Amino acid sequence: MFNCITPPFILNKLLDSSDATIRGAAMDTLITTARLRGQREVRGLIAGALVSPAAGRRSVFDCANSTFLPFAKLMRSEDDGPVADKSVNQAFEGLGVTRAFYRDVFQRDSIDGHGMRLQGFVHRGRRYNNAFWDGQQMVFGDGDGKVFADFTGSLDVIAHELGHGVTEHTANLEYRFQPGALNESLSDVAGSMVKQWHLGQTADKADWLIGSDIFTPKIEADALRSMKAPGTAFNNDLFGEDPQPDHMDRYVELPDTDEGDNGGVHINSGIPNKAFYLVAIGIGGNSWEAPGHIWYESLRASTSTTNFQQFADTTFSKAGELYGASSPQQQAVRAAWDEVGIRVGSEPTLSRR
Amino acid sequence: MRVSLTTHGGLAAPINSRRPPRTLDTDRMPAATAGQLRRLVAAVLAEGGGGRPDRGRDAMTYTITIDDDGRAATVTGSDTSMSAAFGALLSLIERQTD
Ligand SMILES: [Zn+2]
Repeated sequence: MFNCITPPFILNKLLDSSDATIRGAAMDTLITTARLRGQREVRGLIAGALVSPAAGRRSVFDCANSTFLPFAKLMRSEDDGPVADKSVNQAFEGLGVTRAFYRDVFQRDSIDGHGMRLQGFVHRGRRYNNAFWDGQQMVFGDGDGKVFADFTGSLDVIAHELGHGVTEHTANLEYRFQPGALNESLSDVAGSMVKQWHLGQTADKADWLIGSDIFTPKIEADALRSMKAPGTAFNNDLFGEDPQPDHMDRYVELPDTDEGDNGGVHINSGIPNKAFYLVAIGIGGNSWEAPGHIWYESLRASTSTTNFQQFADTTFSKAGELYGASSPQQQAVRAAWDEVGIRVGSEPTLSRR
Repeated sequence: MRVSLTTHGGLAAPINSRRPPRTLDTDRMPAATAGQLRRLVAAVLAEGGGGRPDRGRDAMTYTITIDDDGRAATVTGSDTSMSAAFGALLSLIERQTD
C-alpha cells in the first residue's frame, strides 16, 4: 500500500529517534513522498512530529452535535481554567490524568513520546453512543441518555482511547484478528491502570471494569467489559450476555468484517485482559508497577502482526530482563498465561488467527 | 422505498451488533420527509459507495440497505470516513427512527 522505499515502520522508528537530524530526515521523506499524503498512518506521524515541542498540550473542542470535526469550536486549552461545559472539563481532566500517568510511570512524553498535542472532541453527533481514536484525536459522544451516558464521564474510556494512540505509535498492531484483539486489550490495560493509579488502588482492591460509568442508571449492566471475569460484565434482556471469553478454549472465531468486529477484536480481548489481571494479582501491589512495566516494554517490542502467543512469549522474556530469570514476577507471568490456555515458549496448539 | 440501517463496531461493539436495525418506509412517512429521504439516497448512490472504510480504533461502521421496488443496493460508511451525503442520510434515518 505504501509506494515508498523506506518501509513505514522504519520511518516510524526514525521519527522516534532522539537525534533531531534523524527525525528531520525522516520527516522530509514523509512529506516529500507525495503519494503518501493523505494516508491515515502518515497523517498521524506528521501531525505527531510537527507538534513535538507541545509537551502534550491539551485542547478540547465542542462539535455541537455535528459529525464533521473541522467545524468544532475550541472550548478549553492547556492554560485555561474550567469552563461551563461539564463534558469539556471531564475530557480535559481525563486527558491530563492519562498524560501524567504516562509521564510519571513510563517516562513517556504524550502519545508519541515526543509531546504530541492531545486533542479531544466532545458532543460529537446527536445522541452518539461511542468514543473513538481516529489516528490523531479522541472523539466522544453524549450517549443517547437511554442506554449510554456521556462518554467523557469515564476515565478508563478516555485512557482506553489515548492508549490506542500509544499503540499506534509503538507496535501499531493491525486492527483485526489476534493483533487487533491485543490492540483492544492493551487499551483496556491502559484504561484500568490509569484508573487504579488515579485512585491509588492496589490490584486486589480494583474493580477491573471498563466503562462502568457509561451506562445510564436504568441499564442493568456493570460495565462494557470485566478484565477480572471476562464474560460477566452484563447480562440483560436488551442486549444479552457479555460474549468475552476468558480462555483460549472459548476463543470466538469471527470473520474479518464489520459484522464480525474485525475478527472479534472487542470480544477475544478478554483473553489477554484476563492474563494481565492474573499477572497483577499474582505479583501483588500496584498494577502499574512490575505488571505495567512488563506489558509496556512488551508493547514496545511488538510489531503490527504480533499474536497472543508471541505477546505472551515477549512478556515472559521482558519479565526476565527486568526482574531476573525465574523471579517471582516472571513466574507470575508464566502462570497467568497458562491459566488462559497459552503456554509460554510453546508452539501455538491452535492455528487460530 | 424501504431503507434500513445496521450499526457495527465501536467501543461497545458486541452490544451495538445486537441491537435491531432501524428501518424506514417512504409509504409510511410524511411526503416532505419521504422526498428528502429519496434525494439523500440518490446523492449517496451517485457517489458509488465503494470499498471497506478505514479502520479507526473503536470507530462505528454503518450499513444502509435500500430496497426500491425490488432494486436493492447497500452502502457503507464509518465514523472516520464518510461523505457529507452519507452523513446526512445517516442522521435523517437516526432522527426518524428515534
Ligand atoms: Zn478500543
